[in-house]
Amino acid sequence: MILDLHTHSVRSDDGRAKVDNYCQWIRKKELPLDGFVLTEHRQYDDTSDYRDLEDQYGLLILKASEVETDYGHVLVFGVNEELTHAFDFARVDNHIGDVLAAARRCGAVAAPCHPGRPNVGLFAHFERKGPIDGVDLVEIYNGGSRPGEDEMSEAEADRFGYRGFGGSDSHIVSRIGYAATEFDDPIRSIDDLVSALQAGRCRARTFR
Amino acid sequence: MRFSEVELGDDLPETHPDISMDKVRLFVKAAYMDFPRFTDHEFAKSEGLPGAIVPGVMSQGFLAAMIHQWAPGAKIRKLDTVFRTTMVVDTSATCRGAVTDLDEDNRLVEVDLTMLNHEGVTSVIGTATVELAD
Amino acid sequence: MVDIDSLRRDWVGKEFHRAEYTIKEQQVLDYAASCGDTDPRYSDPSNPDFEAHPTFIGCLGNTRDAMTPKDFPDLGRGRSIDGGKSVEILAPIRPGDRLSARSEIADIYAKTGRSGTMLFIVHRLNFFNQNDEPVATVDLRQIKAVEG
Repeated sequence: MILDLHTHSVRSDDGRAKVDNYCQWIRKKELPLDGFVLTEHRQYDDTSDYRDLEDQYGLLILKASEVETDYGHVLVFGVNEELTHAFDFARVDNHIGDVLAAARRCGAVAAPCHPGRPNVGLFAHFERKGPIDGVDLVEIYNGGSRPGEDEMSEAEADRFGYRGFGGSDSHIVSRIGYAATEFDDPIRSIDDLVSALQAGRCRARTFR
Repeated sequence: MRFSEVELGDDLPETHPDISMDKVRLFVKAAYMDFPRFTDHEFAKSEGLPGAIVPGVMSQGFLAAMIHQWAPGAKIRKLDTVFRTTMVVDTSATCRGAVTDLDEDNRLVEVDLTMLNHEGVTSVIGTATVELAD
Repeated sequence: MVDIDSLRRDWVGKEFHRAEYTIKEQQVLDYAASCGDTDPRYSDPSNPDFEAHPTFIGCLGNTRDAMTPKDFPDLGRGRSIDGGKSVEILAPIRPGDRLSARSEIADIYAKTGRSGTMLFIVHRLNFFNQNDEPVATVDLRQIKAVEG
């Protein structure tokens, strides 16, 4: 089962993709995706209901968040009410230690995305400030990476012993599926996704 | 190009717009944007830029021109672009587009837009809503 | 870091400036030519549907007065970058039209990117023609580098 774990819709300030257009694009282009996760910037969307689209297109549509920290951007999967009160999703200067600890405490998974990117990637901050504890999973393939960034992500993840996943980071429809994550077991819900990421029963794939 | 000829997922023919200094100078005069950041490589470098940069709105103009080349007579109702990185004057660029939605009632198509710089890095992303003839 | 909530409360959604523009034929022609657009609707004055290129309107109102209210706080000397533009065309704009642009700030928010912490200011210009009919809405997203 393959899911794109990093996508943005029009709910993100720089997102220009409608969710139903993602669905029809995946089917029309026969992309090897079984679903995708919406990771809107600096927010958790607890209102949108995509069950009708899931039924219509036979796709799994899950919701997560991309938050901003002093060590770059971090995807948070398994957001629940307790976690939304644990730190301010809208801030751009959250402490990564707080985000990682809160996610662990609330049964969620927090994983730095595009870690090989300047300024908003984890490893750029490691170079300047030294490594931190609490990270075990990072996005090694990102569909928006520039040449060399994914290579750095993969090499550094390997060096630090981090597991990897992939996501397109699509902001427009036609970029969904550039990178994704393949799972060993069926994923039917956000709880299944969190369990699979925690257990490491998945691997990053790139389709660029 | 008529609405009935368009399919979801169609790619627009790629274009390679002219981003030479001559064209940029013509543009900035017409667009009330005659600033050295766009027309003087040395000045732009003194501002920390890699060279004179193509105005963002000119990139938007190139993407619109690609749509008109694909569908002459089409009317662009909305064009929304995000400028992600600079594009340097006197280099090369590529415009791409793809049809991502069709509104049969109003003969509108939704088009994804991207513009790549000479290194293949995406410098502009966007979308357009375009009205086509029957 | 600037107080974004306070900025939003004080400035978002309030019209603060009006300006007038007369659309000139040669300017419209040069604009289309520089973009490489040969569609006669935008490049041939003898075409019965001749009008300004749809992105032309995004060039009007790029002045300090039209973009920034007089009493808007000084956000420092960090470089301003054009973060993007949205243009919605509501009616054709033709040479000879006299347009009025009404300015407001539509949104203010912060985010981090490859260049560091950035403040986004969304400037909205609503354009009306000489008959007071709306012809276009333009959003200009100005990025201002700020101290973390």
